[in-house]
Formats: sequence, structure tokens, C-alpha cells
Amino acid sequence: MNRVQNFKLILWTIIGVGAAVAAARFIFGLGATTNLSDAVPWGLWIGFDVMSGVALAGGGFVITATVYIFKLDKYHGIVRPAVLTALLGYVAVAVGLLFDLGLPWNIWHMIIFWNPHSPLFEVGWCVMLYLTVLLLEFFPVPAAEFGWLSTIRNFLIKLRMPLVIAGIALSTLHQSSLGSLFLVMPFNVHPLWYSPIMPIMFFVSAIGLGLMMVSFESRFTSYLYRKEAETELLAKLGNAAKWIFLLYLLMRFGDLFLRGQIGHIFAGGWQVKMFWVEIAISAAIPLILLSIKRVRTTGAWQWVISIMAITGIVLNRINVGGMVHLNRGDTFYLPAWTEITITATVVAGAALVFLFMVERFNVWEVRPVDPKADPSTLPEFDYASQASLGRPLIAARTKYSLAFVFAAAFGFMLLSNQSLSSEGVIAASVEEARGGDTLWVDGDLDGYGVSFQHQMHIDKNGNETSCVQCHHMNLPLDENTGCYACHRDMYIPTDAFGHDWHSSPHGGNLSCFKCHQEDQHKNAETAQQCDHCHDNLYPAGATIKVDNYHAPGYVDALHELCIGCHVKLIEETGSPDIARCANCHNDQRDVVEAVDGTKENILIGNVALP
Amino acid sequence: MQAWIDFGQGPLFRLCFALMILGLMRIFILTIIGMIEAYNRNEDKIVPFAELIRLTFSWILPITRVWTKRPVYGVVSVLFHIGLILVPLFLGAHVLLWKNSVGFAWFSLPHALADNLTLIVIAGGIILFLMRAIYRPSRALSRKQDYIWPLLLTIPFVTGYLAVHTAFAPSAYQWTMLIHIYSANLIMVTIPFTKIAHCVLMPLSQLVTGVSWKFPLGAGDKVIETLGHKDRPTWVKEPRVALDEDSLSGKEIASK
Repeated sequence: MNRVQNFKLILWTIIGVGAAVAAARFIFGLGATTNLSDAVPWGLWIGFDVMSGVALAGGGFVITATVYIFKLDKYHGIVRPAVLTALLGYVAVAVGLLFDLGLPWNIWHMIIFWNPHSPLFEVGWCVMLYLTVLLLEFFPVPAAEFGWLSTIRNFLIKLRMPLVIAGIALSTLHQSSLGSLFLVMPFNVHPLWYSPIMPIMFFVSAIGLGLMMVSFESRFTSYLYRKEAETELLAKLGNAAKWIFLLYLLMRFGDLFLRGQIGHIFAGGWQVKMFWVEIAISAAIPLILLSIKRVRTTGAWQWVISIMAITGIVLNRINVGGMVHLNRGDTFYLPAWTEITITATVVAGAALVFLFMVERFNVWEVRPVDPKADPSTLPEFDYASQASLGRPLIAARTKYSLAFVFAAAFGFMLLSNQSLSSEGVIAASVEEARGGDTLWVDGDLDGYGVSFQHQMHIDKNGNETSCVQCHHMNLPLDENTGCYACHRDMYIPTDAFGHDWHSSPHGGNLSCFKCHQEDQHKNAETAQQCDHCHDNLYPAGATIKVDNYHAPGYVDALHELCIGCHVKLIEETGSPDIARCANCHNDQRDVVEAVDGTKENILIGNVALP
Repeated sequence: MQAWIDFGQGPLFRLCFALMILGLMRIFILTIIGMIEAYNRNEDKIVPFAELIRLTFSWILPITRVWTKRPVYGVVSVLFHIGLILVPLFLGAHVLLWKNSVGFAWFSLPHALADNLTLIVIAGGIILFLMRAIYRPSRALSRKQDYIWPLLLTIPFVTGYLAVHTAFAPSAYQWTMLIHIYSANLIMVTIPFTKIAHCVLMPLSQLVTGVSWKFPLGAGDKVIETLGHKDRPTWVKEPRVALDEDSLSGKEIASK
């Protein structure tokens, strides 16, 4: 049995199904291919691909620190695989993120448009910088194969210490900043997980996970390539990991105790069960097993412990990342099979690149040889037809591509008809803004709106003359018609003209040739304009010119109108805050109370914690 | 019954169609990679591109190649191919199915033309099968799939024709559709793995031979030298026509 080839065949099969799902995701969008919703916008992809991908890469900074900073040279043999794992982990994060972002092509915006108030700003910069550092750290290994890269390679080897230090600093920042990310949602994360020291706990658990990941990877590749396992070395790593797990457990329970939330661990509910499962397999059981010397020096137990701990800490990240979020309403999130497939595909891709690197470059002391892919082996023959499959390389290529093609076709079959035709934008009709001097602008009446100081805007912009700055089109016999009359949907452009209505009895039962010319094609270009019949359609001096009758969606129209003017005000007032989101979208609770007087809508957006 | 038809038109169709497209892409790419590897191994790097392109294009219309020997075969084969390619892609009903599922459509054939092309394909498939079965040299060269394909390809055309002209078999409409859909799916699955893959490999057919089939430089001369026939003229230098003449025996060629 050829373990390497079989494993690669499985990976290619996963990637094949994933390719079909990925195509559907990028063509039809997130709504068509995931179980994510507005209530649960973060799910498996953030929890596993991003949060766990980063954590799994923890081995990189732990081992480089051990070898290059603390000078423990006995671990030197596992530096390069650890750095490679970290690099691939971060690449997987970046790729996984592209699937999860609604507009992935805007990912570079963060580099240009800085928003230092956002925790994601730190997370994003750490990912970019650490990915760069990891690339530079690993680059000398493949570069050794290419003579013309030797100058760059030598330069990077000289730079090793600064790179290692930068890598450790950035990792420390980044592992913990993923925790900080969840500090901003105290009402979402379950109290058993939400803690002010979440950043520190993320960092500590990442160290433990890093060690376990290195251990798992070493055991797995030894199995795959039938090489001698580094049991002694892994036992030493396990001994170190033991103390990390102890520290982590003390922090988890000490924190619960000090915050007074310890009572939750005995409460019912699936989240509490999840907590116990997570604590048991992420730290408690590995801690007990690693404390026994005979266990941690046994190969089979090293498998068990590393897989258990990795699963546990990944579960922790998925829990914090979305599974134990308290949702508005009672929506319950379970990842769709498509989400799981994409996740598996990202992992499989990373594994394939790892195997490629290991076989092609000097990642280990000795390059592994897949006995059947050795150039000196004889060609393979198909058992049934006795047809030659060619040299092993060609045979492998044939098999892998076949697995990929079949799996991708199967993936397309599994995608249901529904997921292949997304619903598109859901129509949401617009209601008139309510109020007097202050208008409550909430087109779809979902409780999220803007309180618009109508009278104040009139006063500041020149009383009667100010109307035409915003009101640019009137209904017949009306003045200063409200926005909702034409912008009738929240997101979808609507028709401000109404062709069929005009030809109906209500609209005057007009004949075709009231607007169209008899000798011309009947279309919008050759028809009469509305002001041919209607007087006072456009107020004199209106700032906004109407050149066609497709009214943009309500949200787009108002954003364009308000922001356009407010941006100009930045220079006049000297305050950039005037064009920021929060200038208009301010505390909604007061507004709802002030405008409607009811308190029912006040708690929308927050769940009362137990 | 309707459930089976829906399955054949929906998930199964997606499976088969994706397998056809991806499988053809795969075989195309693998062929090109193999060709590049062969080229890199060869000592003889000369590739007569102009000649290969001319050959490739001349085989697009095989009438020009086989006119002298098998004119009927050449004409039938070309007509068969025209219908085979145009009807599935541009039949109005098929285009409508695409429009309803993926949202975009393209040009469609006039109804009468599609009908006639369908009949030509059915007749062509049967004639091609018979010629292969009757003509002795073809039979000697044929594999199993060579007999199966012309007949298999006509099945969706026969059932499609019956489905459009329901007057022939009004009560069996669902059965007709079922066979139509499933046979077409079967064809799509098998295309990348059988000789029908020539639908994408055709542009490479001559190129592969020209690029990969190389003997080491001067091999022919060395063989002749080793055999001790250095002064004899070799048949390679003779005009090609001489080879096609059945009347000439090997001795006569050598004596020329």
C-alpha cells in the first residue's frame, strides 16, 4: 500500500468537491451556499479557518523562540517543518478569509483606508505582517535549490534573528488580538467564555496548541513516509506542553471564579455541556496524560494526546467564534455541508503544499522518498487492461486529476437547485418617514434607523430656499414630495414612472401615442419626457438632476445625498466626525423612545444576559 | 417517473455535464503536459509547425482526404458531425432549458432545420455503423467502442425527435423523455474517457504526433548502415502515393 499516494488521492478528492462549492460560492454568494445570516454572520469559516488556522500556526513562533532565542539546539530539526506549518496556516487563514468576506476583492482597502479604532484593523495588519515575516523566514529553504537566488538567501539568513524576533512579537500580538476581537461583543459571547483576559487565554492556548500541532505533524509524516518517529523529542515537547495546559486551566477557572460566573458551570443547557467537553479535551485530559511519564513517551499515546488537544482548542476557537454566541431571536446555527467542504478544502490544499515542499525541498534533514514515485521504478500497468499507466509520475498525475475531476462533478451534483439560484436581494418596501421637526427615517421599520433633524437642516441651509437642495422631484400636484414616493424599495432600484399604471384607468388610460411617436419604435429613448404633460415635476433650482426614471434603492439614495453633503462640510466645520457613520446612526434607543414613545423596540439588538 | 426525469435533468445532469467539461479539460491539459515532456526529452527539436497546422485543418473536412477512396463515408461523416454538434447546443428547447436554469440564452436553430439535421444524424449514425461493420478493412481496425458509438449517439436523437413530434407516440412521452435524458447523460459521462474526446483533442491530434514521435537524430541512417543496405534507396524518399497502391508489392517498392 502506498500511503503517500493514497493520502494525496484523498486530498485531491476533497479539493475537487471544494472546487465545485467554491465556484458556487463566488457565483451565487454567501446566502446561497452557507447557513450564515444577518443574525449569525460569523460561523465555521471564521471559527475554524481563521481563528483556528492562526492558533494552529502557533508552533511557528514557539519553536523558533525555543531554538533561536533560548538556544535549545536539540529542537533544531523541527524548526523548518514548524515554520512551514505556520506559513501554510497563515496562508490558509488568508484564503479562508476570502471565502468569508462578502466583497473579497476589497480586502486591500485595509492597507489604504486606516481605521485604527477597529480591532479588526490590528488583526488584519498582524496577519499581513506575520505572513510576510513567515515567508521571509521560510524562503531560504526552497531558495537553496536555485543558485540564482543565493544572494537573497544569504541576506535573509543574516536577517534571521531580527525576523525571528519580529515573528514572535507579531504572533504574540496577533494570537491575543483575536481574543481582543471578541472583547467588543460582551453581549454576544456566552459568559463562560467572555472574559476580560480572553486575549491572554488565546495566547496561552496557542502556545499549547502549537506544541501539540508540531507533535501531531511529526507523527503523521513519520507514518506517511514510513520514517523513524521522533518519539524522544516529542516526549520533551509534551513535558513542556503539560505546564502550559496547567497554566491555561488555572487561568480559565480562576477567571470564572474572580468574575463571579463560576455558577454557570453547573447550569444546564448545551452551551455548558460544550464548555465541559471543551475543557476536558483541550486541556484537562491532555494534562493528566502528559503528567504520566510512561504515557508521554509512548508513540500511540502521543497520537491520542496531540489529536485530542488540537480538537479541543480548535473547538474553543469555533465556540468563541460563533457557536456559543447568544443570538437575537432563537436562530440556531449549524454549518452547512458546503461550509464544511470549503474548510476541508483549505486544509487539504495546505496539506498538499506541505507534502510538496517536504518532497521537493530540504525541509527535513533527509528528503522523504515515496518508493513508487522514485524515477528508477518501473512503469505501472493497469490490472484489468494491461495498458501502461506510464512512469510513476505520469501515473500519479493521471490518478490525481481523475480523482479531482470526479469529485468536482460530484460536488456540482450535490449542490441543490436552490443553492444554484440565489434569491438575490430580498424586496423590502419603504415606509414614509414619521415625525415632525425631527423625522424618524426607518424605511423598512426594523427599528434600525436615523433620527433626522429636519427643521434643523432647514434652518441651517437657508429656510425656504433650502428645500430644493434635497427634494428634486414632485408627484403631480404635490410639492416637496418625500423620498419614499419614488425610492420605494430599501435596496432595489425602483421605477419612478410606472408605464402600465399610466395606461390603466387609474393613470388616465393613456393611449400609446400620447407619449410615443407613431412612426418610431416604442421605447424609452423616443418617448416624450414626463414634463411634457406634468407641470412642476422638477422644482426650480433643484440640486439633483433627474436624467432617467430608475430611482436607486432608498438606502443608496439617502446615503449618497447625506454623505455627499456632509463630506463637503468637513472642510467648513473642520471636524471629520461629521461625515462618519455614527454622526447619523447614533444611539437608537433614545431615538425610538423620543419619536414613537414605545419601549418595545428599545431592546432590539441586545439580549438580556442570565 | 416524473421524479426520475427531474433527477436526470437536475442533479444527474449537473454531474454528467460537469464531468464532461472537466474531464475534457483534464485530458487536454494532460496531453499538452505529456507533449511538453516528450519535447524536452527529444534530441530532435525541429517541429514542422506549418505542415502540422495544414494537416490539422485539412482533416477538419475529411472529404478532401478520403474523396478518392471513400467519398460516401466522407460526406456522411461530415453531415453527421454537423448535426451532432449543432442540434444539442442550439435546439430551441435546449436553449430554453439553459435560460430557465442559469439565466442566459443564446441563438437557436429554426425548428425545421433542427428537425432535418436530427433526421440526418439518425440516418448518418446508422450508415456509419453499417459501413464499419461491412467494409472489411474498417472492421479489422475497429474496437468495440467504434461499433457502439454511432448507435449510442443516435439514441438521444431518435428519442428527442419522438419527444418533439408527439404525434408518433403520444402515450409514451415520459418514457421517451426518460430515455432521451438518461442516454444523453450517459454519453456526456463517457465522452472524456473514450474516443469521442477527439472533440477537444482534434486540434492536438497532428501536433502530438509531430512533437512526440521522434527517433534519435540520424537513427534511420544508422539502421540502414547496420543492415548493410547503405547503397539501396530507402522507401521514405519515394512519393507517398506509391504506398497507397495496393498493386505494388514490397519488392517493387524497393526496386524503385
